[in-house]
This record gives sequence, structure tokens and C-alpha cells, in this order.
Amino acid sequence: MTQQGEVWIFAEQRDGRLMSVSLELLNKGKELADQLSTRLVTVLLGDQIDDLAQQIIDYGAHKVYGLENKNLRLYQSEAYARLIAELIDEHRPELFLLGATMVGMDLAPRVAAKVKTGLTAHCSDLYLEEMEGQKKLIAAVPGWGGNFVVKIACPQATPQMATVRSGVFEKPEKKPGRKGEIVKIAAQIMIEDERVETVEMVESHPVGLKLEDAEIVVGGGWGFQSVSGFHLAEELAEALGGVTAGSRPAVDAGWIKEDRMIGSSGKTIAPKLFVSAGASGAMHFTTGFSKAKVIVAIDQNPNAPIFEAADIGLVGDLGKILPRFIQELKREKNEI
Amino acid sequence: MPLNSIVCIKQVPHPEHFSKISLDPVTGSIRRAGIPSVLNPLDKNAIEEALRIREKFSGKVTAITMGPPQARDVLEEAYAIGVDEGVLLCDLTLAGADSLATAYTLAKGIERVGKYDLILCGNESIDGATQQVGPQLAELLGIPHVTHVVEVHWLNEGEALVKREIEYGYLKVKVRMPAVMTVMKNINTCRLPSVLDIMGAVGKEIQSWGCCDIEGEKECVGLPGSPTRVVGIVHLESKRKREMLKGSEEEMAQMAVKRLREYGVI
Amino acid sequence: MDFSFGRAHEMLRNMVREYAEKEVAPKVESYSQEGDDFPYDTLKRCAQIGLIGLLVPKKYGGSEMGYLARMIAIEEISKVYAGLGANLRGWSLVPHLLTIAGTEEQKQKYLPALCRGEIQGSIATTEATSGSDFGAWPVEVAKEGDDYIINCRKVMISRATVADIFGILVRAEKGYNTFLIEKTMPGVQTGHREKLISTTSRNSPLGDVVITNCRVSKDYLVGQEGKGIGAALSTIGGAGRTGGAGVCLGIAEAAFDIALKYSKERIIYGKPLHDLQSIKFMLADMAMHIESTKFLCYNVSWLQDQGKKSAEVNKETAMAKLYASETAMNNTLKAIEILGGYGTAPEFGLIQRLKAALDMIAAAGSNNVLRRNIGDAVVA
Repeated sequence: MTQQGEVWIFAEQRDGRLMSVSLELLNKGKELADQLSTRLVTVLLGDQIDDLAQQIIDYGAHKVYGLENKNLRLYQSEAYARLIAELIDEHRPELFLLGATMVGMDLAPRVAAKVKTGLTAHCSDLYLEEMEGQKKLIAAVPGWGGNFVVKIACPQATPQMATVRSGVFEKPEKKPGRKGEIVKIAAQIMIEDERVETVEMVESHPVGLKLEDAEIVVGGGWGFQSVSGFHLAEELAEALGGVTAGSRPAVDAGWIKEDRMIGSSGKTIAPKLFVSAGASGAMHFTTGFSKAKVIVAIDQNPNAPIFEAADIGLVGDLGKILPRFIQELKREKNEI
Repeated sequence: MPLNSIVCIKQVPHPEHFSKISLDPVTGSIRRAGIPSVLNPLDKNAIEEALRIREKFSGKVTAITMGPPQARDVLEEAYAIGVDEGVLLCDLTLAGADSLATAYTLAKGIERVGKYDLILCGNESIDGATQQVGPQLAELLGIPHVTHVVEVHWLNEGEALVKREIEYGYLKVKVRMPAVMTVMKNINTCRLPSVLDIMGAVGKEIQSWGCCDIEGEKECVGLPGSPTRVVGIVHLESKRKREMLKGSEEEMAQMAVKRLREYGVI
Repeated sequence: MDFSFGRAHEMLRNMVREYAEKEVAPKVESYSQEGDDFPYDTLKRCAQIGLIGLLVPKKYGGSEMGYLARMIAIEEISKVYAGLGANLRGWSLVPHLLTIAGTEEQKQKYLPALCRGEIQGSIATTEATSGSDFGAWPVEVAKEGDDYIINCRKVMISRATVADIFGILVRAEKGYNTFLIEKTMPGVQTGHREKLISTTSRNSPLGDVVITNCRVSKDYLVGQEGKGIGAALSTIGGAGRTGGAGVCLGIAEAAFDIALKYSKERIIYGKPLHDLQSIKFMLADMAMHIESTKFLCYNVSWLQDQGKKSAEVNKETAMAKLYASETAMNNTLKAIEILGGYGTAPEFGLIQRLKAALDMIAAAGSNNVLRRNIGDAVVA
């Protein structure tokens, strides 16, 4: 195995669970490592991390550095950054990628400053490009108003660092029992680390996400014709991992609550995905989601104006298309 | 005992005009000409927090910004809202900075400002939105940082118990001053400057320092001090794609899921 | 000619816009509801940020930022809710009257409280029998020693039922007198709410002020005896009309913004609505008339800030209000047309604006009277 700089991933754990984005980065990381003919290595910090370390190997890492200390169970900004920077200084990886979680966004810049390297945030894509005879990481970042994508590189300094949001890359396959190297390190806490101390983590996974905060929304309209028909919209939302909303007619019909109404007399939202189902696309309604990143429209009228406002259009019977759509989403999920 | 704070603020393009922004294809920097500018919204929350701390502990609030000469406007706005002192770090050599070079420049400027107990920043700016300057500034100053702050409870003027947001919840963090805190929108409600506040702020004196005044090393500021570079721009179609799927319900469903994966939304 | 706004005016506009969008917009529905609970908290808030005392010297609690500042403030608020813009106009009239014509004692007594929003004033001139035809007014005040006895009925008075102090103009034996009448004085009655289209709301109570045998000393006389009409007309012309112009400018801009947004989002025949030439022409006209309105409004304000008295800019104040009022009407009607079937849908806010524009035809100087004033000035 080459001593050439490796591809490193920060595996974030919370409450003994690996964050989804860390797994997704293992997938991309493997791809980049292969292209660079080097190894995929993961850095993990926490308390009692054996199980998590093995999981990471199962997901494809060649090696895991597991820094263990009971005081590292919760995210400690000083200790985490210091320990990771020390490890980086020792081994000088070529790339270091972290998930753009609210913790990753806190940790990555400090580490980058400690090791004096470049960091690109919220990348929508990562790939390698030839730059002066070397393969360098290109981080693609969306520009203002979504009109363009900016390509950013870190030509000189190493490791080249980037943070990536969950959902940009796919999770890799888990192969239980994969072989890999786990290096456990008993981490030391220093006095300076205690200037800032995380004393408690409070999490409550929401029953229902606020409509404005939802990243995926399914908006159902009059086309469902009945409350039982409307249930399909709810099922689709669930299968997509999103929330349900409705047009004014759907709300007036009592199929969904007023606080979920989208449109000029309701809420205006900008989720990353909006699916309009059974709504013809009156301006009243479309104005409520025109800024969504991607819009899918499903309706039985091929001339419905909703299709002008969408990126993807499906024409057909709601009662037939939606179940297929839901089925396809579930099938994909189960396979992973 | 008084608590002196420094608020790092930034002038950013007005969000309503974002679609008109273009990048210089050579330097990769933003072409700002003709686009109105505003004070970064989260920086207002940072200023508000600093003023509340001054009301509680007394002390001085200094606003500092790195920018071109017109960034003077955001310091004027900061004066209108209530800060005591305004500092502009302005020099051609500072231009083209990424977050690390910006953090370095601010750190040097802050060292010249003098003694401080707390540095406040908005959690992100609406243009770059990297969220990186705060933690990097803290590292360069050798002090701790807390980001995503939504609540600050002062145990005494030297230590605070802070709530910082995480997905689905928060962390409770105890932090000793001096420290950097970057704040979120819901930490407070910003006060409005009154007419008299505005009249008093216009033309009020600000300190303007160049690279030499803050003893900045030329290799550490601006474009030379930026380890990251813009190497290209790819334009995107802003219109809706209007792709009508064909085939049986099954085929359309499969294609739809495939497309959504490609778009990166599921 | 430098037509740019200075920093102070830019910052003022931004501050008022932020206030209007963050604090006024969520309350528009509440303000528009029928009822008797006047939003005193809004009065206090406007006072707190300095919007009442824009024409009042600092030593009396104002900022004296000036007429242009006042125009901008009224314009920005009226974009969001014309009713509050109209109140902002109304709240500043008695302060203006006192500033230009009050005695030192009167200024000290009322201005600070008015600027702080602790009390509010209203100008009351309109007679039941005539508004602008002063010559036809009956004599309604008699002198008794050093005191005055007033008997009059004023109608269509803004915020009649909630104002604490009225600046009233009454005809005397010789000439006209302007008095300050406190609501609590014996003989003063307010009531009979007029139900005009946009003034049935709790925000804009319009009513009568009936004064019966009210005795006041000369301490309550504003300006010289018999010469009260000068002061009253200065306020009505210099501040009342210009305030009305600002309200109409805001309405006109809001209507345009709503129509423009709709025309961008509505897809018809495969393209945005504004691609149709007929619609594009309407938008072009609306935009052009807004620009002319702005010039008339900002120019007269600038002249006033340069020191021109109300009488010197009589033609300009009349032009500003008249033109702004017609632009407000035309723009709201055009916007309603552009929105097609949704034009009168309440959630687009155009009906609210149309109502406000209709009321502004007669308010702040009736348009026909203003046209005659302009004609008189032009042919003189």
C-alpha cells in the first residue's frame, strides 16, 4: 500500500449512532481513494466505539482510527479539533471530508485552521481533476440564486478539506464481517480543552416537522376527489421522508389542516423537493412553491398548467401512479 | 465588571438581487457593481446580543468589518443600532480572501482593537454561507468557540452556559471567556434604530486600517493567504426542465425515482 | 441636479421598510377589523422609532429630520398598509401646526407628549355644510372678554373618537381662528362613526367633533386672532396634502409590485404573462406614473426642506397629491385587471388597496379642488 496521502473521512457519532452523512461520505470516499490509488481511512471519536468502528469497516473503510475517552462521548469542540489535527499532522492525508452537520460545520473549520489548509463548505459534488500534473479535488458549490455552480480547489495545502450535506451522495453497501484495520487510541484530555465543555445533549425527534423546515413536501390537490384518495399523498410523503401539504381546495374539503396550506393564501416554501399531486397548477397554488429546487407534477390532465411549472411531469390516474411511485421508493430503500 | 465585546460584521449583496450576481471568470471574485448591499442579517442578531450584554454588564461594543471602502455603510448601520466603535479593515491586498485569510485578517484587526472578552459573529453570511470564519478566527486567536448559538445564559461575566442548536435538538455548552460565539436568527429579536439614532450615525467617525496598520503578513491575507481557489464556474439553466415522463405507470415511477436521485433530492 | 438620496434618508427608508414588513404586515388583518379598540401600541411604537416628530425641533422631542424623511416614512408604510400611512400623516399634523404657529407655552405643553405618542392630535376643519368653501362657513366662535366661546360641528375628522387634542379652524366675526381643543374640555363631544369604505376599521375611526358652548382662554388660540386661517392652511397644504401624496405613492407602488410578481409567475400560452404585449404595456405605464409621482413627491419635500413655506409651494403640494391619488387609482385598477380572475381575491391585497385609493380621492385635499388650485396658480 502506498504511503501517498490517504482519503480520510470524519465519522460522526451521536449517542452511539453513526450519522447518515458519514456513511454517504464513505461511499464517495472509496471512489476517490480508488482513483488516487490510496486507502480510505476514517477518524472516529467517542466512548466505547468498538461496535461503531466495526460498522465503519463493514461500510467499506480500510482503516479506522478510533479515539476513545469517556469525555469524548459528546462533541467537545476543543478536544475533537485538537486530536484530529494531531492525527492529521502525523499522517498527512491527502483529503479529509466531513459531513456538513451542525457539528461538522463547527469542527471542520477549526481543524482546517489548525493544520493551515483549505476547506470548502456545503459541496454539491466532489470529483478529481488534473491540475499541474496532479489529481486534485474539485468541490462544486451552488452559486447565488441557483444560477451557477462554482468549482473550488485547494491547490497547494493538504489535506484538501470539504464538508458535504446529507443526501448529496448515496450510502454504500454494508457488508458485515468485512476485514479492515482498527487502530484504537486512548485519547487524552488536556486542560485547555476544558475552556469549553459540552455538558448535555438534548434531542427530540419531531413528531411532525414544520412545513417551512421540511426539505421534501408533497402537496395534494382537488384531484384526489376524496379524503381516502388524499391518503395517497400522505403515503407518498412518508415514502419520500417528507411532509404533506395541500392546496386551498384540499384544505377547504377538510382533507388536510389549514396550517399545511400552500399558496398565496397559505404558506410559501422552498424545499429541495416539491411533489404536486392532483393539483391543476393554478397560480394561486404554484406561487407557494415556485422556489423549490426540484418540482415533480402528477396529474391526470395532460394540459394542466402545473406541468409548465415542473421539472418532471407524470400524466395519469393518481390512483395508479402514486402506488407505483411509493412502491418504487420503498423498493429502493430496502435494497440498501 | 464590564464585558467588552467585538462584533464581526459583513456587507453582503442584497438577497433580492442574488440572481444578478456574476463571478469574475479570472479571479473568481464576486462582481458587486450595481448590486445594492446590506448588512448581513445574522450580524444584526450578533450586534443585538452584544448590546444586551452591554446593558447587563456594561462595557464597550466594537464592530469590525473587512471590506472595500463602501463597507463603511454597515459600520454606520451598526452605529445607528448602538455600537460604540466601528473599525474598517480595508486594503487592496486584503481582497480575494477565503475564510481562512478573512479570519487571519480579522484576528490581526482584533489584536489591534485591544482587550476583549467576547467575540460575536453571525453564524453564516447569506452570500458565502460557509460558516467557517467564526471557528477559524477563534483558532487563530487561541480561544474557544461555540457555533449555532440560540441562547446564552451568563453564570457570571467570565462564563456562560450556552444552548447551541443541533439537528433535532441542542447541546448545552459551558464556555469561559474570552471566546467566539456565532449566533442564529432565533437568539433574539433585533432592535430598530430610531430616526435620531440614524441621524447620529451618519458621518460618524470610523477607524480604517490597512494591512500594515494591523501588521498583517502579505502571504496570509487576501488571495495569497487563501488556500482555496475558485477554478471555474458552470452556468445552470434556471428554468424548469418540464420533462414529461413516458411509458406505463411502472416505467414512469421508476424513471421518476431515478431522476430524483440524479437531482440529489432523495 | 443630484437626485440621489443621502445616507440618512437611505437608512431611514430601510428602517421604516423593515418596521413595515416585520411589524406592520402581520397585523394588517387585525388593523382592518371593525371595532373600537384603537391600536395605541402602534402609535407608541411609531413614536418610539421617531416617526411622529419628523417635523418637530429636537428641543421639543422631535428630530426635525424633515419633509423628505416624512414623505419616505409615509410611503414605505403605505406600501404595506395605507391605513397606517394615513395615521402617520394625521399624527404629524397638530405637531406641524404647533411648530409653525404655536406659542412657546403651547409647544412645551403638547409637543413632547405628541412626539412620544402619549397623546395624539387631529386636525378638524371640515364643516358639515362645506369643506373647502371657507367663505360659506357660519360664524362659530364668539369673544367674551379675553375668552372665546365655541359652537361648531366638524365632520369627517380622522380619529375623531380617539384623538386627545384637536386643531380646529372656526370662523370668527372677523376672519378665522385656529384653536387647540382638548377632548376632555366641557362641551366637547366626539362620535358618530362614518362608515366610509376603508375607515370602518379599528385603525381608522372617522367621525364628528361637536363642540357646544366650549369656553377657552387665549392660551388655546394658535396664531393671531382673526388670522388663524394662515396657520391652518399651511398645515393642511404643506403637511396634509404631502402626507396624502405619500400614502397614494405607497399604494401605487404596492399595486405595481403585486401585478409584476403575478405576471412573472403566471404562465399562459407557455410563457410568463408579462410576455403579452398588452400586459407589458400596462406594467410600463404603471412604472412610468410611479416615477413621475415620485418626482412630484420628493421634489416638493426637498423644496420644503430647503425652507420653502407651504404658501410658496402651494402648486407643488397640490400637484403631488392630485397626481399621486390618480396614480394610486389607476395602478390598483390596472393591477386588478392584470390579475384576471384573482384581481379581487382578498389574499392578493388589491381590493384593500383599491378601497384605500378611493378614500384618498377626497381626503387630504379633494382632487377637484386641487386641480382648480393648480389651474389658478398656472394662469395667474
